[in-house]
Amino acid sequence: MTTLYLRDRWFEDLPAGEFHVFGSHTFSELEIVEFAETFDPRPQSTNPEAARHNHRQGLIASPWFVTAMWMRKMVDYMEVYAQGVNDGRRNGAGVAITDLQWLEPVRPGHTLTYTYEIIDKPDRVIREKWGLIRSRNEAFNQYGNKVMQFEIDILAERRPT
Amino acid sequence: MPLTSELITLDKAAIVAFASQFDPQPYHLDKEAAEQSIFGGLCASGWHIAALATRLVSETLIKNGLPFVELLSVGHLKWTRPTFVDEQISVRITLTDTQDESPIADTYVQALNVDVCNGDGDVVATMSATAAIAQDSATGETA
Repeated sequence: MTTLYLRDRWFEDLPAGEFHVFGSHTFSELEIVEFAETFDPRPQSTNPEAARHNHRQGLIASPWFVTAMWMRKMVDYMEVYAQGVNDGRRNGAGVAITDLQWLEPVRPGHTLTYTYEIIDKPDRVIREKWGLIRSRNEAFNQYGNKVMQFEIDILAERRPT
Repeated sequence: MPLTSELITLDKAAIVAFASQFDPQPYHLDKEAAEQSIFGGLCASGWHIAALATRLVSETLIKNGLPFVELLSVGHLKWTRPTFVDEQISVRITLTDTQDESPIADTYVQALNVDVCNGDGDVVATMSATAAIAQDSATGETA
């Protein structure tokens, strides 16, 4: 019997129900401001002083910073533990997301832990060689509160026949 | 009538800068690797497009008298076409429902549909979202 390693799997080898913890990130004030200045310049994320008096009563991370960090954690994790083989099975692009919600603000010093669970494998073949992996993704802060969730469909290469 | 934003140009430096920090995959970083990939060329991370689209949405709503405060949720976001080096993006916003009850004080919730388009007018992404809008413009911009 062949052992299937996490690093060497095709679409067919990825089971619904598989769960991974991608890792954690602590958000600093500086990186919250830098992200916002470049990509999403809202005052609640660019100006710590002014943010003290606004609707959030303090600096918060841009929602897309919270979500972009999920992507980084996934890439790093997959590189080390999962697909990772440089033969085309990695780098299956994301196609669409649904139900993305930011549930609580992320503030300087907060540490988020990102999780991933395969929830479905829609029965579709895309451009002859790709299948779709649907996952539910969540981020929890240091209090254990869920601060973000979404589902995403990502391409995974089918085993050649 | 949809509201239309300005155009933003995505040059190689911007695409690579975002990707090296948040989405370090070969098709967003390296020209040759990208040409061999599913996209066929160096292109922006979908999350980069999402963040810039939101920036354009907030600027456009504010310019049209809707004091955007914060993006609250995204019902769907679909990437339909890659955005390659030196292509431009803009957004077309259609306002849909509003709701009085908002998680942020002194705001209401505005639902909207967004088409992200390139310089040729092709749709590169579609998004449905909700945003908190200040009930009076005094609470929208505190900076």
